[in-house]
Order: sequence, then C-alpha cells, then structure tokens
Amino acid sequence: MSAGGLRHVSRPGLRTAITLSFAVGGLVLSVAMALGTYLTARDYLIDQREAGALRQAFSDASRVRDGLLTSGATVSDVLGNVSPPADAAVVVRRGDRWFSSSLQTGERDIPLEARDAVGNDSAALSWHRWDDDPAVVVGVPLPAVNAEFFELATTTELKATLDALAVVLTVFAGLTAFSAALLGRWASRQVIRPLDDVAGAAAQIASGALDTRLPATDDPDLATIVASFNSMVDAIHDRIERDARFAADVSHELRSPLTTLVTSVELLNRHRSELTDRPKKAVELITRDLTRFQRALEDLLDLGRLEAGAAEFVLKTVDARELVRQALLTTGQLESVLHLPPDGVPVPVNVDKNAMHRALINLVENADRHGGGLTGVQVAEEPGEVSITVTDQGPGVPASERERIFQRFFRGGSRGALPGTGLGLSLVAETARAHGGSVWCSSGPGGIGAQFTIRLPAAHGRPDEQSAS
Amino acid sequence: MTHLLILEDDEGIRSSLTMALEDEGYQVSAAAKADPALAIVAEQRVDLMLVDLMLGGMDGFTFIRRVRPSSDAPIIVVSARADTEDIVAALEAGADDYVTKPFVIKELTARLRALLRRGTGDGDPSTEPAGADQLVLDSTDPALVLDMGAGMVRRGGEEVHLTVTEYRLLCELASPPGRVRSRGLLLESVWDRGYFGDERIVDVHIRRLRTKVEIDASDPQTIVTVRGLGYRLDQR
Repeated sequence: MSAGGLRHVSRPGLRTAITLSFAVGGLVLSVAMALGTYLTARDYLIDQREAGALRQAFSDASRVRDGLLTSGATVSDVLGNVSPPADAAVVVRRGDRWFSSSLQTGERDIPLEARDAVGNDSAALSWHRWDDDPAVVVGVPLPAVNAEFFELATTTELKATLDALAVVLTVFAGLTAFSAALLGRWASRQVIRPLDDVAGAAAQIASGALDTRLPATDDPDLATIVASFNSMVDAIHDRIERDARFAADVSHELRSPLTTLVTSVELLNRHRSELTDRPKKAVELITRDLTRFQRALEDLLDLGRLEAGAAEFVLKTVDARELVRQALLTTGQLESVLHLPPDGVPVPVNVDKNAMHRALINLVENADRHGGGLTGVQVAEEPGEVSITVTDQGPGVPASERERIFQRFFRGGSRGALPGTGLGLSLVAETARAHGGSVWCSSGPGGIGAQFTIRLPAAHGRPDEQSAS
Repeated sequence: MTHLLILEDDEGIRSSLTMALEDEGYQVSAAAKADPALAIVAEQRVDLMLVDLMLGGMDGFTFIRRVRPSSDAPIIVVSARADTEDIVAALEAGADDYVTKPFVIKELTARLRALLRRGTGDGDPSTEPAGADQLVLDSTDPALVLDMGAGMVRRGGEEVHLTVTEYRLLCELASPPGRVRSRGLLLESVWDRGYFGDERIVDVHIRRLRTKVEIDASDPQTIVTVRGLGYRLDQR
C-alpha cells in the first residue's frame, strides 16, 4: 500500500480502541502465562523422563553385567534374559561386535557422542531420533565385562503430553483474549453511553427542542460534564431568547414609524393631482424607497426569526401547484410560464403557506429584477421530494458565485443594476432549510440564464380540506 | 355615515390613519387611551373599532374585553407584532380580525369593508338561507332559533347576544345546514380573506360561537368539527 493510501485510513473509534486494547492486553497476558506454564511443565516432564530412563538403564545394565560375569554366558543369552519396557531397546557392544534386544535396533541407532562418552568410561545421556520418534539414549560402560551398554527409550508419550498441553494452553489463551475483548466492549459501552446521551441531547437541541436537558446524575465522574452541558444549553437558550426579544423590540420600534410613513405617503399619492411637478417627483421618490425600506425590514425580521429558529410556522399540507400559482398572481406574472406535472393531481407539501409564499415571491422577483425576466416555473414531483424551479433569461450566475449568492447582502457583479434588498435569496435559503428542504442555483437550459430550485420533502396524503373548499 | 373608532397611542399612526380613513369617506373618532375610547363607545354609535394592542395604561386586550358586552361592532386589532400568541389572545378576547404594522391602507380598508358588509345593509345574498325566515337549529328545550328576519338568535325566546361577525358566521354555516364548510371557505365568505388568510381566525370564532349557542361548549352538538374538512351545522 502506498503512503498516500495510508493517509486515508481513518482512526479507529473510541469504542474500537478500548475493545482492541482489552483484547491485545488479554492476549499478551494469557500468552505469557501459557508460555511460562508450558516451559515449566516441559522442563519438569523431561527431567522426570530422563530420571526414569537412567534408572531403567542402570538396572538393566547391572543385570547384563551380572549375566556376563557368569562364565560361559554369551551376550545374546544375557540380552534374552533382560526384558526392557516395550518402548525401549537394549544395545550392547562387546569388543567390535554389537548385540541388540530387538531386530530393528543396532549400532546405527547409537549416536556417536554417546559412544564417545561411554568409550571414555563415563555414563552418558543424550537425545536422539529413533525410527523418527524422539528418544533418550543412556550409555553405561561395563568395564568389568569389557562391554558397553546402551539403552534406547522412545519418548512418544512425553511428546503427546506436551502437544496436548500446548493445544490446551493455546485454546485457553485464545479464549482469554476473546473474553478480554468482550469485557473491553462492555467497558467501552459503559464509557460511551453518557457520551451517546450527550450527543442525543445535542441533536435534539440542534433540531430546535431547546428545553432538552441531560438528566441529573449521581455519578461523580459524569456530574461535571452533565452540569456544564446543561449550563451551556441554558446560556444558548437565553441568548436565543434575547435575540428574539431584540428582534421583536426592533420590529416594534421600526414598524410604528414606518406605518405612519406608509399611511401618509399613500395619502399624498391619492392627492397627487393637487401637487405641482417637483413635489410630485419627490413623492414618487419617497414612495419607491419606502416600499424598498418596508420590504428590507420585513425580510430582515423574517430572516432573524428563521435563523434564530424562533419562527412559528403554521404547517399545513398544501398543493405546491397552488402555492406557485398564488406567487405568480401576487407578482403579476402570466400563468403561462407555469409547467406542472402532466397527471394533474395535487402535489402535496407540508409548509407554512405565508413563509413559502414569500420565498417564492422572492425567487420570482429575483428572476424579474436580476435575471432579465422570468421564463418558466416548474413544479416536479420526485419520489419523496417536490421541486420548484424558477428559470430566467438573464446573464446567469457564475459557478463561483452560486453558493455565495444566498448570503445576506450579496450582490453579484453581473446581476443587473436594479436594487433589491439583498436579502431575498438568503430568505429563500433559510425558509427552505427551515422546512427541511434546500435551494440551489444552476445554469438554465442550454446554458442560458439562471435556474433556482427549491426542493422540499413531499408530504403524505392530500392537501388539507381540499374536498370541502 | 359609517363611524369608526381608532384606539392607537402612537401619535403619527393615529393622525395619519385618521386622515387616510376620513379621505376614504368614513367618520373617524380617535383616542390615544382606552378610557376615552370606552367613553366614546358608551355615548355614540360606533360601527367598527381599530384597536392597537400595545397601549400605555389599559392595554388593548383589556379594552376589548371591557367593550364587548355593550358593543357587538366588529373590532380589528392593529398589532405591531407578528407574534401569534398576541393575535390569538386578542381574537379570544373578542376581536374579529387583525392587521399587522406596517400595513397599507388598501389592506386595512379591505378588512374594514369585509366586516362592515352586513352593517351597511350590503348583505351577501348567499348567506341568507333560502325560503324560511326562521330556522330551528336545536329543537331540544329550550329551542335555539336563528331568526333571519329579525337578524338575531334566540334560545327559548330570549335573545342570544352575538357579535356581528359571529352572527354572519352562523348564517354562513346555516345556509343550508348539514353541509361541511372548510376553514378556507368560511374565511373567504365571512372575512373576505383569500388563500393566505389565517385559519385560526375561524377556529377562535367557532369557539366563541359555541360558548354562546351550545348547551355544553365542550361537547358541541350544533356546530361540529369535521376532522380534516372543516365545520358543519347540524340541526336537531
């Protein structure tokens, strides 16, 4: 694997890390224990076996010596009288001749170092292979009868015992490691559970349930995090309420004088004919900017409420086609730009009618003001989703600005000269978001103009009170 | 001449609104506080009231509750806030409709005209049930009778006091009885509000109407809710 590939390997999670360390720790400890046990047991068993082999060899050797001391006895006769255990064989050298208690055994089975040691008049014990089995060879010099005695004994049983021990210890080491992993998993869950609670509470708060708090705990290790989490949420809650109050205060402070202005200017407009040209022009200027001011204030307050999550939506299941029709009606657009699904059935969405109406009006006005005129509004139903697409025939939006165009007071360099409030599209984005939907900008069909698409989750069932109205 | 009362503590709004409505041909009395406004209602015939909710001293809610027993004239609440609780509270107190600041005069006069329709004899013929002048809504004793000729509702011969809007809502439901009306339809025919009207206006009025015409408002038998569809008036 390349180094570049390694960079993308994600770090294991806390739960995995804890489980793994328990498993590895368990494995290391149990392997060390097993290895120690195995080595100790093996040394002990080998010592035992060697002691046994020596005992047997000396006993058999003395019998052979005694036999040979009897006058006239041949080695073969003596060997016939010696009865070594079934897994052992006796080999005797007298002069240059070799005698054996078994036909399959002979000179070739006696290792050289044993012969050398016995040749030097000392007893020897060595390990050797005999018919492919491990065997212990004991050599005893018999100087009194001018002979050398060798006894071979296979240690197959010892090997089987040690093998069985190794298997048992390996299995137990594995089981111990596995149990440690399970323990680690349980422990990690104990550690993670409070974090899961915190994550769940945080998600609920993020989705607007600001009253969510972590339940009090008597666990001293958790009390700190619970207390600081709850006080953090309290602080956020206070902050949001302060912001909402501020928005309400600003709203009251600005709306009253604005009402006076709007009402008075309307009165002036009704009496325009009584004015001379210059005051008439002044009234026109005031009227235009007052309308813009009014729109900006409404947009700003709506945006503030949406962003603070304080907007009180009255959600109703309505027909998206009707929403779009109303938006076209309000903005004085022709209904012929509307493209609807061909089946002619209602397209239900669950929305706050007024909020979505304002968002659609903003999109239509944006197309009209900055996009060289509205060319089409399309309502389409996809599985689980409803999309409303507004297309214009303007210069389009450069790809680099398609995200930023939804920010407050963003003004694209190429988006026409007519002033808007600079808030319309961000209001659209916030409204879509607050309804669990989204909005994005792309280029129009054939690369001409811009396209704004609002996507909303489809509602189930028919629009409310359809049949009775 | 239709007489309007404006209760508004903001000098600018009060003056400009008075001028604009006089310009529209209404006779306008204006007050900055609730007490002089109550005095005007007590002394003169008032056809419709425009009430600001945020007032110094007695607030708009209290004014509405105080003025309601003696006057059945429509009340339009003028609220600076779009706060839904304030609006619902004002409707519960007895208001008929609302506009939020800043509004344009055209919007306000549309609301005025809708609520004044019957008051100026400009009744919508479709709200008059065909044929009968009197309609027995509930024949259990004491009987509830809608007397279209006299323009009133009686239970056991005694008049049940309804506001102008409550009476029009009842007539709408009773022409003919037994048919389900959606909230949107009622909003359109009684309040002249279109697609974006606030349907809570209907719900609050239905609630108020029930406390007056039902024997047990918590278990309505005459004006019943049809889930997901709207309301229906059942004759018994």
